[in-house]
Amino acid sequence: MSRPDEPGESGLVAVADYAAVGAGLDALDTNTGAKTGAWRRFTRTVLPPIVAVVLLIAIWQALWAAAFWPEYQLPAPSAVGGELWGLVTSGQVFGILWTSIHRAILGFAIAIVIATPLGLAMARIQVVRSAIGPLLSGLQSLPSVAWVPAAILWFGIQPSAIYFVVLLGSVPSIANGLVSGIDQIPPILPRVGKVLGAGQLASARHILLPAALPGYLSGLKQGWAFSWRSLMAAELIANSPQLGNGLGQYLENGRSLNDMAMVIAAIALILLVGIGIDVILFRPVERYVLRSRGLGVTVR
Amino acid sequence: MTATLHVPASESTSTPAVRLTGVSKSFGRGAGAVTALAGVDLEVRPGEFVCLLGASGCGKTTLLNLVAGLDQPTSGELHRNTSRPAVMFQEAALMPWLTASRNVELALRLAGTGRTARRTRTAELLDLVRLGGAGDKRPHELSGGMRQRVALARALATTVDSSSEQRSLLLMDEPFSALDAITRDVLQAELIRIWQATSTAVLFVTHDVREAVRLGQRVVLLSSRPGRVVREWRTGDLDPVAEGNVIDEINGRLREVISSHVAA
Repeated sequence: MSRPDEPGESGLVAVADYAAVGAGLDALDTNTGAKTGAWRRFTRTVLPPIVAVVLLIAIWQALWAAAFWPEYQLPAPSAVGGELWGLVTSGQVFGILWTSIHRAILGFAIAIVIATPLGLAMARIQVVRSAIGPLLSGLQSLPSVAWVPAAILWFGIQPSAIYFVVLLGSVPSIANGLVSGIDQIPPILPRVGKVLGAGQLASARHILLPAALPGYLSGLKQGWAFSWRSLMAAELIANSPQLGNGLGQYLENGRSLNDMAMVIAAIALILLVGIGIDVILFRPVERYVLRSRGLGVTVR
Repeated sequence: MTATLHVPASESTSTPAVRLTGVSKSFGRGAGAVTALAGVDLEVRPGEFVCLLGASGCGKTTLLNLVAGLDQPTSGELHRNTSRPAVMFQEAALMPWLTASRNVELALRLAGTGRTARRTRTAELLDLVRLGGAGDKRPHELSGGMRQRVALARALATTVDSSSEQRSLLLMDEPFSALDAITRDVLQAELIRIWQATSTAVLFVTHDVREAVRLGQRVVLLSSRPGRVVREWRTGDLDPVAEGNVIDEINGRLREVISSHVAA
């Protein structure tokens, strides 16, 4: 066989040989990524956070046993556990969670509907971007709690006040995520679309939107986090019986009753929902999207 | 190898696939204007394989963009007597979220082909580039050479339509320059095979003299800044000795063209 880096000689290689060499190259170059076993995955991804939480509780227990602080400042882990268990057995927890989660999801859904066209317009129309781009980035760094007083004055103690705060918290993140997703598309891809004869609409549908998906998803993820924390802030401050009993109200009740176990239980539940939605919903979707593009390979 | 090239029957017909007459292209206006191409005359016959050769800055890519219709010439005339030309770039530029066969299908979809026709045509094209078994692989799972072959199949999807009588044109912008030597060698042979099988006209831009002589029936040398046609050589049907001589000759001329820029 001739040395392929000398084309003068390689001209003598028969056509059939090229097919064989080509097939050989394909076989050599194709990834045969070894699959990690279930046990290995368990010990590397599931076990560490469990160990961390167990350690944290152990330290907490030790601190409580040492009695550095009075009971009303640092309750025993078992007291908080008892509080949570009481909520579950009485069925109260489901009502509280439902009140907050359905608000967050509804607010988040409205935010998506508003932010997506907004992001598209900002990414594609220069005037729109220069006009509201800085404003939207600014809003992203403004804590949405700051809107609670204004929302109460404008809407009264109404659910609409809460939704207003949630929207202002999450819309900028989602819109900015979509904009950066579109900005990061390699320019060669729309060019390929043009060469293939795609018009504006076909190009957006088949090339721009799918190409921007990873950025959009991370915007959605951040938007969810912002809408959840905005909701908690709003519920905490704007609490009244006619707004129902959400997690924020429950937390505020704990404070007014001087019941530290209740306060910590509320914080644990808020944390649990935030992490739960991320783990159950966003992470699998994001992982699938990134994996299918050969991106975001997890650290080995 | 070049001796085995068949000459397409359509070569004798008078209407060229592409004809450029005095085509110039400048970017910018006034004092800051840059002339990329100045008075380029070029003709590609149906089914002909023409290589454009030149050092960097010779406006090869500009010329290809003009022929592809991505850009308009500043002056001069450009006639294209083919279907929408297929374009292949230095990078494969496959859509990373689509499998290999979906990438090929996308081209057909954008061209308005129906679903079932799309499926069969995609399978045919992948077989043509010897990737019949890799259709459901994603671009990141393929090697650089395989990706370029998918890109070739995608390019051919828009242009080579076996059912229509329209002439086709394939524009290639240094498609193999980012590949390793072995893969490049294999792909050059594959391109010749596919060109013979499809009888499409090819305008192939490269800065590699050996590649140009090996692939092209005709090699056109462009000067740099601005790009003009310096000379052209017929390089089809050459025996190995003659091929070596032509390569030396073109190399010599290319060096002259590049050296002349020192004085300027």
